[in-house]
Amino acid sequence: MGSFDLILLLKTAPGLSLALLLAAMGGLTSERSGIINIALEGKMLISCCVTALMSVAFGPWIGLLGGIGAAVVLAMLHAVLTQMYRVDHIVSGMAINIIAFGASNFLDKKFTDINRTGEIPQLPFEFYYVAAFALPLVLWLYLRRTKGGLRLWAVGNDPDKARQMGVDPVKVRYLALLATGVFCGLAGAWLVTNAGRFVDGMTAGRGFIALAALILGGWRPIPAALACIAFGLLDSIQLQLQGSKLLGAGIPSQFWNSLPYLATLIALAGLLGRNRAPAGLGKP
Amino acid sequence: MNWKLAILIVAALGVVIGALIAIGVAPSDAFLQILKGSVGTPGAIGRTLRETTPLLILGVAVFLGLRGGLFNIGVEGQFLIGACVAASLGLKVPGILGVLLAIVGGAIAGALWAFPAGWIKAYRGGHEVISTIMLNNIAFHLTTGLVAGPLKAPGQQSTTTATLTDSTKLPMLYSAPPLTINIALIFALALVAALALWLKRTVAGYELNAVGANPKAAQFAGVDVRKVTVWTMLASGAIGGLAGSCQVLAYEHRFYEGFSPGYGFDALGVALLAGSSPWGVVPAAGLFGILSTGSSFISAALQIPKGLNGVLIGLIIIVFAAFRYRRSRSNG
Repeated sequence: MGSFDLILLLKTAPGLSLALLLAAMGGLTSERSGIINIALEGKMLISCCVTALMSVAFGPWIGLLGGIGAAVVLAMLHAVLTQMYRVDHIVSGMAINIIAFGASNFLDKKFTDINRTGEIPQLPFEFYYVAAFALPLVLWLYLRRTKGGLRLWAVGNDPDKARQMGVDPVKVRYLALLATGVFCGLAGAWLVTNAGRFVDGMTAGRGFIALAALILGGWRPIPAALACIAFGLLDSIQLQLQGSKLLGAGIPSQFWNSLPYLATLIALAGLLGRNRAPAGLGKP
Repeated sequence: MNWKLAILIVAALGVVIGALIAIGVAPSDAFLQILKGSVGTPGAIGRTLRETTPLLILGVAVFLGLRGGLFNIGVEGQFLIGACVAASLGLKVPGILGVLLAIVGGAIAGALWAFPAGWIKAYRGGHEVISTIMLNNIAFHLTTGLVAGPLKAPGQQSTTTATLTDSTKLPMLYSAPPLTINIALIFALALVAALALWLKRTVAGYELNAVGANPKAAQFAGVDVRKVTVWTMLASGAIGGLAGSCQVLAYEHRFYEGFSPGYGFDALGVALLAGSSPWGVVPAAGLFGILSTGSSFISAALQIPKGLNGVLIGLIIIVFAAFRYRRSRSNG
């Protein structure tokens, strides 16, 4: 393990956790309101694409707004389909992922200026760092200390009871998905800022890892954030160990890549404590 | 038809037509070229049928799961695992024996890969969609690792296995190039027929339907819901793995990194479009096959990026899902 560099590890890990943190918090508001959301990946991806295109055209701030806007559009589509049309949450999420993959490919291929060289204009990295690491704390406080947070919690646990108490679940869910769109949009904007350009399918499963972190964290902001940081750390260990030998044997990077999913599967099997899913998940 | 549904359909059409107009392509032109590129020539028909085969088999896998009340989003992973196992078995044992081994091995591998999801759903109450999403990603990394390492063909630059010998391939049923039809297509159609009969004529099929329609009522009527759930997942996974075997033995003749262009996800759309009868899987898979082949064609002919196909498929899924809900509610 001669090539193992702890300083480098601690420097790269937060960056790798950032998108996971933002997306997982997006998943949190959605699932806490009772809407199953497997479309975090798609929302991030469309934001990556639109952020890249609009940053080039109008500068980084408009780019960020555009990316967030695109993710919000998809989040609202999910809200309308599940609440107004009563489409199954899984089907809607799945379709949105497929649309986002297709649409980002379409937009990128047709509207990217291929003669342009260099990286896209970007916001300072610190902006994203502050946003991503403050968000779980803010959400934790929001859920515990405010009326809106308690309403969100109540709707996700038992929409019928919430209705009887005078809270409109549908309204709460629209607002929750608005937040999901904003957070996933931020996540996508960060990915494209970090990478410097858009690549087809560049989210590479991060939306699903964020979902995994959310489940591992029992749908609670702080534990979910810790899971995201752990997964980021794992990613950065994986990057460092590539090609090097651990205990005399080379471990393929694919093994490290699988670990978050494996951990989630074990958690789902109930081997890591009780099931903490919001009781009203998927209910009308 | 009510106004909400009408708005959805108009909006979906608007998005696709708007996208075409935005890049300066006449929508009617695109439509005609899709037809030309998918069913306009013998070669195009052959390509469409080839593309339809995995969608048909995977559509059956998802349909079976849906009937039993399970969303098997994991067919993508089961497809990859089945294909990977089939390719390695077919390379080890050539000839007819190898073909049989690869088919059975792929199906077993797919079933085993689906098992955790079924078990978690039945005995731990964990949502099968989440567990199959996790299993999909593990399958992707596992097969990529295998084909980059132990299964990689020696002397190859790209991450791929060696190619199967001619005796280990599924034969062509009709071969008059450019139109070729592989026996796997007939196999897939037979599978649809078998499923239709099985669901209608057997006790197990009846129990599966009962669990899918109302698990509590089924439990009350004496059906072991947990057992049926696990078996449904195993069967769905086996068919998913089988699709992978067929893809390797009939068309690809090897396994490589990035083997599936997302057939498993399209298959979910196929199963939804199929409606309530297994026979519906056939036209649904055909439609998706036409769209996929046609959009490959127009991406070259009219410079329309292939991504538009994804947008179209996603919108079709949304519209049908909304439509299906209306119908099921008016029936109930």
